[in-house]
Amino acid sequence: MSASSVTPEELLDSADQLLTSSFAGSGNVWPQACALLTRLALELTLDQHWARNLPSAAECGMRQQLLLLPSYGGPEAALLAREAWLGLAGATHHHAYELAPTAAELRGWHTTVTRLTALLAP
Amino acid sequence: MGERERSVEEIIIERLSADNTPGPVANLLISALLGEEELDKALQSGPMAVHTASSEHGSAGSAEPVRSYLKSITVEGFRGIGPQITLPLSVGPGLTLVTGRNGSGKSSFAEAAEFALTGENRRWSGSGHSVERNGWRNLHQREATHIQVDMAEDGKHGTTTVRREWRQDGGLDEASSYVQASGAPRQPLSVLGWAKPLELYRPFLSYSELGALVRGKPSEMHDAMQAILGLDQLLDCERRLNNARKRTEGVSKVAGQELPALLVKLGSHQDERARAAERLLAARTWDLAALATLASGADAGTDELAGKLRQVTAITLPAVGIVEAAIGRYEAAIRHASALVGTRAADASRLAGLLSVALDHQREHAGQPCPVCGGRVLDQEWANNARREVTGLAAQAAEADAADAEQTAADRELAQLVPPKPSVLAADLGSEADPARASAAWDAWSPPGVSAAEFSAFTAAVEALKAQATEALRRRSEAWQPIAAALSVWTETARQSQQATAALRDIKKAVSWLRETGNQVRNARLAPFASTSARVWEMLRQESNVELGPITLAGAGPQRKVALDVTVDGVPGAALGVMSQGELHALGLALFLPRATAPGSPFGFIVIDDPVQSMDPAKVDGLARLLSDVAKSRQVVVFTHDDRLPAALRQLQLPATVWTVTRRERSELILKKTDDPVARYLDDARAMAKTEQLPERVRAVAVAGLCRSALEAACHDVVRARMLADGVRHDDVERALEAAQKLHDVMALALFGSTARGADVVGRLRALGGQAFVNVFRDVKSGVHDPVPGDLMQLARDTEKLARALRR
Repeated sequence: MSASSVTPEELLDSADQLLTSSFAGSGNVWPQACALLTRLALELTLDQHWARNLPSAAECGMRQQLLLLPSYGGPEAALLAREAWLGLAGATHHHAYELAPTAAELRGWHTTVTRLTALLAP
Repeated sequence: MGERERSVEEIIIERLSADNTPGPVANLLISALLGEEELDKALQSGPMAVHTASSEHGSAGSAEPVRSYLKSITVEGFRGIGPQITLPLSVGPGLTLVTGRNGSGKSSFAEAAEFALTGENRRWSGSGHSVERNGWRNLHQREATHIQVDMAEDGKHGTTTVRREWRQDGGLDEASSYVQASGAPRQPLSVLGWAKPLELYRPFLSYSELGALVRGKPSEMHDAMQAILGLDQLLDCERRLNNARKRTEGVSKVAGQELPALLVKLGSHQDERARAAERLLAARTWDLAALATLASGADAGTDELAGKLRQVTAITLPAVGIVEAAIGRYEAAIRHASALVGTRAADASRLAGLLSVALDHQREHAGQPCPVCGGRVLDQEWANNARREVTGLAAQAAEADAADAEQTAADRELAQLVPPKPSVLAADLGSEADPARASAAWDAWSPPGVSAAEFSAFTAAVEALKAQATEALRRRSEAWQPIAAALSVWTETARQSQQATAALRDIKKAVSWLRETGNQVRNARLAPFASTSARVWEMLRQESNVELGPITLAGAGPQRKVALDVTVDGVPGAALGVMSQGELHALGLALFLPRATAPGSPFGFIVIDDPVQSMDPAKVDGLARLLSDVAKSRQVVVFTHDDRLPAALRQLQLPATVWTVTRRERSELILKKTDDPVARYLDDARAMAKTEQLPERVRAVAVAGLCRSALEAACHDVVRARMLADGVRHDDVERALEAAQKLHDVMALALFGSTARGADVVGRLRALGGQAFVNVFRDVKSGVHDPVPGDLMQLARDTEKLARALRR
């Protein structure tokens, strides 16, 4: 992995900063931004995991990835990934009428992805 | 959980002996626990007969009751449902979701089930739902209206049907209802014996109730919790003791309350006994024994006048005949004596003396003339004559003396016949007896100069006085009688009052002991319940800043409540006011679920109508996990208008059966099973089969795995349905499924009901669907390890066919 590649940890740090302090310029959209960063961290974590274990899986949809994960990452990782994905997919899907996620929800997903990242770390 | 729950009685007995409660107080407490009668006995028998061993009363039935599950809910012409439709449910624990848009009629199933079993609906029966009350009948189906719930009892064969139906013009309250076990006659609903359990473990919860659970009357919540924890025994005990206290308090005051009336009665009475009673009653402590004696009238010594009167009645005079005889004897003696007067006899003694003196003179002066008359010579011849004369005269004198003595004796007898006048005749005998005449008559009686007639008059006077005295005594006794009765009644009352006063001290101690210890007992029993609530809250709260601390029962009397230790951002007491609607609902569920799933409940099912509304998305997956957790041991039926819950369940791969309700015109409902574990696995299998980015081998293994899961799920369905219908208890079914780990075993269990028939599986599969079924079964089994080349989509299709055939 090249030195310039972004890591899940970096993304999670940024999301954490959005949660704990207000970023200049992030304005009213910080919850969506935070959710997006967390979601990207989740996807990146899985990508890196597939790269090590089943490269072709990275090209599949999230549904397939989640179905494969118990066999290739263990049941606990699979459960964490499902939980995080359930929340983040909804939050980052743009619905005009849906309200932004709350800080508490964002913190919950952030915690879940952080655990998953640690669990799947090589 | 785990160790046997101790009965309230056991806990109380243990605490009683631990803190050395005095015998009488402990006795009252235990008697009050046992029941009204026992308490009465204990109160009457006084401070003895202490209960020690009463283990035979408590410790009854801590075993879990047999649970009932829902088999189906059928509705026609009720609420949003027009033509008859049946919602089938799989018996036994598991999660079923019924989804549909608002107004699709899905909630009508929930309402129908609740109404069928309880005869009411909390959502309407709450205030101000008259519109709902009138709108219960479906507009499009006005002729026939009925609701029916089919149930199966865990471990029992057959179906129990509960049905309510209405005539065309009948009101909501006019349904005819019955319960019928298969093959048995119809019976009234009361045979189910669910009145109390429905109150305690109410398995129905609607959206509108969620908040009310938290916001309802604190005392009602308190009592509901008490009852569910089996603490109503404690409540009964407290109530009995309080009643006893009131009664006893009343009794202890009666003597004092009735005293003034008694004193008025006594005051109006002349009798000396009344005064004595007044003196006794004025004392600081009543001498009840003395009062009782007084009331009985046995002691008359205290009454002076009555004593005098009684003396009068005791006066006795000799009988008239005796006095007459004595008078006769006296008069005879007088007559005899007076008959001798003027005869020689009267002078005989004197003459005999004179002649004796003359004879003495003659002896010394013989032959000389008489010195008295000087004529006759006193010679020998005169002396001889004179001696003869003296002898005759002596005899005559003796007769006169005898008559004299006879008179004296008669006189004395007469004088002694009547006693001296009693002093009482000189006394004041009150207004009712006048001794004057009798006294005068007595004074006038002066023997011996008395006559029989005089004595008769005397006797009459005395008898008249005696009659007066007797009458006076009788009247006085008659006048005292009612007062004696009143006094005796009051004395008995006072005895009871004194006893009650003594008992009251013990009762008060028992009540306060129970108040102190009761809360400890309550909270000890509450602990497991509270921890379930806490767990529910933890699952639902997600990252909510509301903390739910221990739930306790607090306060007493009208102040009693369920204390929710809610802190917001660590600030205690901020409580319910700042909680969001969603949080309140989550808390409502946290209070509802422990109750509805309490071990003592005979309901294997819970029906929840729309718990998702106003819940944050994060809480929805908490709810999904929670419901699926509860569904491990209960049949959970959830109605929701929101697709977030089914989505969360699917996403988290939590098993659930999902029905979708749509509503055509004229209230015709259509039910479609849109998701169940088998379908879900097959969906995933097809998705995986089409994922061409993956290597063939990986895809094959994944698809085989998902198809295997689909077949296992189908087999589980079959096994559960059959075994439960055969009357096997749910726990035993789950154990059997758990023991059958391999697909082959599960298949044998599904096909034959026994894992021992493994060798016959292939043959049966061939009979069911030819070689294709045999191949599917083989490929799915082995494909998990060794990728089976071939059409993966075909494998999924064949698996679906086999699953369908199995479940048919």
